[in-house]
Amino acid sequence: MVTKEDIENIAILSKLFVAEDELDDLTKQMQEIVDFADAINNAPDSGEEFDNINNLSNVFREDEVVPSLPCEEILRNAPEQAEDHFLVRNHA
Amino acid sequence: MSEIRKIHDMLSSKQISCKELTEKYLTQIENSNKELNAYVNVTPDAALAQAEKVDKKLASGGEIGLLEGVPMTLKDNLSTKGIETTCCSKILTGYKPIYNASVWDKLESEGAVLLGKTNMDEFAMGSSCETSCFGGATNPFNTAHCAGGSSGGVASAVGANIAAYGLGSDTGGSIRQPASFCGIVGLKPTYGAVSRYGLIAYASSLDQIGPITKTVEDAAIVFDAISDYDPKDSTCQGRQGESTVDSVNNDIKGMKIGIAREYLEGVRDDVREAILNAVKVYESLGAEVVYFDMPAIKFALPVYYIIACAEASSNLGRYDGIRYGYKAEHYNGTHDMMCRTRSEGFGDEVKRRILLGTYVLSAGYYDAYYKKAQNLRGTIVKAFNDAFTKCDFVLAPTVPMTAFEMGHAVSDPVETYLTDICTVPVNIAGLPAVSVPCGFNEKGMPIGMQLIGNKFNESIILNAANAYEKAAPENFKTTKWGVKL
Repeated sequence: MVTKEDIENIAILSKLFVAEDELDDLTKQMQEIVDFADAINNAPDSGEEFDNINNLSNVFREDEVVPSLPCEEILRNAPEQAEDHFLVRNHA
Repeated sequence: MSEIRKIHDMLSSKQISCKELTEKYLTQIENSNKELNAYVNVTPDAALAQAEKVDKKLASGGEIGLLEGVPMTLKDNLSTKGIETTCCSKILTGYKPIYNASVWDKLESEGAVLLGKTNMDEFAMGSSCETSCFGGATNPFNTAHCAGGSSGGVASAVGANIAAYGLGSDTGGSIRQPASFCGIVGLKPTYGAVSRYGLIAYASSLDQIGPITKTVEDAAIVFDAISDYDPKDSTCQGRQGESTVDSVNNDIKGMKIGIAREYLEGVRDDVREAILNAVKVYESLGAEVVYFDMPAIKFALPVYYIIACAEASSNLGRYDGIRYGYKAEHYNGTHDMMCRTRSEGFGDEVKRRILLGTYVLSAGYYDAYYKKAQNLRGTIVKAFNDAFTKCDFVLAPTVPMTAFEMGHAVSDPVETYLTDICTVPVNIAGLPAVSVPCGFNEKGMPIGMQLIGNKFNESIILNAANAYEKAAPENFKTTKWGVKL
């Protein structure tokens, strides 16, 4: 059973606001989606393990220094920046 | 005939200059995009500059490659250096990547002409293209219907011939389903055959980039061009084996086609009939048909939504208003800034999936949902492994129905999820599958079938798909739109 408190709690974890007037609808929708997901509990537990699709293991490259992307280009998309840094204000 | 080869021959023999050809496409985009809403960003200057380069090369007696000068498009979640890439989300408005997706690096270096970026469901989350912040793309066969999703813009553009081909991405059917709805070909490659570097992530263990084209041979040509090892994607192995285009014309006599009965359950009658007719075509070509059961795929849908949403909730954590994209104007403290940015920047479907993903990963629910889904993923992988001991490929409907009317998909999230029933098992198992047009319903809307292969067996499914295309060309129809060559 998905409760309003569940939604409020996962909204905080997800860094999302849920407006008071959206809460009822969203709780109902999430209940429907969770009911749909619950179908897997009827599936037999086969004990199959899943690690990754193609059984890949990490391949490490040689630890050589290569050029990074230029700082000024990286900052170009930032909403706010100052002195080669991302700028985060406490209030706006 | 292959659209790409046709254009290549016209350019090489100087029947048309690349600039004239590109202008034709740009004019047709201008004429039709209001109704189709396929493109969200047209890039005429870059397209014409590239076209002029091709013309110069030809004028100086140079030979051009097969993809050189061919006008195409990219889904708006593929990073293009200096060209706005939004995933059709308000939260990425104005974002101009500082690097290219590896697939675009490859095609650009082959001289492809990029006409623009195409519409999609926001962050590829949707089945009708209508969760896009720009509104949905419409179907070239009937604009009252959607183009499908999430790569709806690419499918609409290729189906309407306002792009010769395009690249989309497929997490749960997002290449195959819109290709099926728009009566064209869509290939979802094996997980790891094509680099995902620069594809803005939705669910990283399921996402794969692939071509959307008019013909099967075109899909093989484009797949061969993009399927290469890439050190920038640690899951990418590249194509295993020879180029697929060399074997598309092989004889398919004796090939074994598998049909899992579960795939035909709950499918609309007109779709089932079209699939069974396609089976008859294959039998007439000398293929053998084997029937079997695959009960594991019955659980594929919830497994898909649990895994995809869990990965999405983590992947989309990066949109925090600090490094790129939209940022809330007014806030009080950094937590408040991030919450406002994300709540104002994401659409409803994206929020629902982030919430579901967070729910299934949170303490108390992790074992019951995420862990169980991963366990079932292993079961589904095994079911396909068993199937491929009995057949060369599995034939199934791509979608249980034809394109829905605009507005239908957004009204009920769960009902919309159910339409992905035939496409998601392929992503869960990391397999290649190609959707091919195999008929029309009584209203003239296209029906598609998919050929599912074993890992890295793109050459087999493309060979079989091409044999079908040659035997049943009446299912590959052009629409009234776009460039006529």
